[in-house]
Amino acid sequence: MRRLDCEQALVHLEDYLKGELTPDLVLEVRVHLDRCRDCTGHARFEQSFLIMLETRARKETCPEEVRARIVAALRAAARGS
Amino acid sequence: MAEPSAAGRSFDEEALPHLDTLYRVALRLTADPTLAEDLVQDTMLKAYRSWQQYRPGTNARGWLLTILRNTFINDYRRRKHEPVAMDLEAVEPHALYRSVQDVDPEGSFFSQIVDAKVLEAIDALPTEFREVLALSDIEGMSYGEIAATLKIPVGTVKSRLFRARRQLQAGLYAHAVEMGYIKPRETAP
Repeated sequence: MRRLDCEQALVHLEDYLKGELTPDLVLEVRVHLDRCRDCTGHARFEQSFLIMLETRARKETCPEEVRARIVAALRAAARGS
Repeated sequence: MAEPSAAGRSFDEEALPHLDTLYRVALRLTADPTLAEDLVQDTMLKAYRSWQQYRPGTNARGWLLTILRNTFINDYRRRKHEPVAMDLEAVEPHALYRSVQDVDPEGSFFSQIVDAKVLEAIDALPTEFREVLALSDIEGMSYGEIAATLKIPVGTVKSRLFRARRQLQAGLYAHAVEMGYIKPRETAP
């Protein structure tokens, strides 16, 4: 296993938080974070940003009237074909 | 037409559950609710007409999003006044954490920004950034799934995402400073 320095760990940080790293790299990043307070702080910041983004921007849903209009258009297309 | 009801049923079951995702992505791409509604409807009609090309049980969400994205590029993008020719690599990424670690290391200023401003900041990003950000960080798609949907290499997905997040953070930070949610770090005299 490689020992990552801060620069190497930060390159992989967001992919680590998104669960996009190989198991080997996950381990290497985790080991670095365990012993580096600065990078742990950085990781916590990026994590809170990603959580904020998902919770805020996923609230919107397709409005009922739009859904109804689309279903009606699909039914009309089915009849027409 | 052969088996219209069976085809219609499977379309309803496989495609309709993704309407919320399609609507949100359409909103982010067009940054305009009326255009977004039209884009989703056009996408669904196109998908319905080419439903026989979809292989049942594969990734319906990705298949629909590819149609939505192509429809957007071909029919909608030119309706918007947007600088298309922009050098995406020229955006120099800067880690916002470095600017706030002394005053707000947990990024709690994010929680003070209202939803509408968060969405506005996303919509201010270049299209190429908005779309990867929407698919990854809002809809939760994997990098591989996004690469397949947008027909671009995974490396491109990653570099666009990295820059999109930096640019969005910078926009949100500027808004937070303006609103007084966070005080910029004092520069040394």
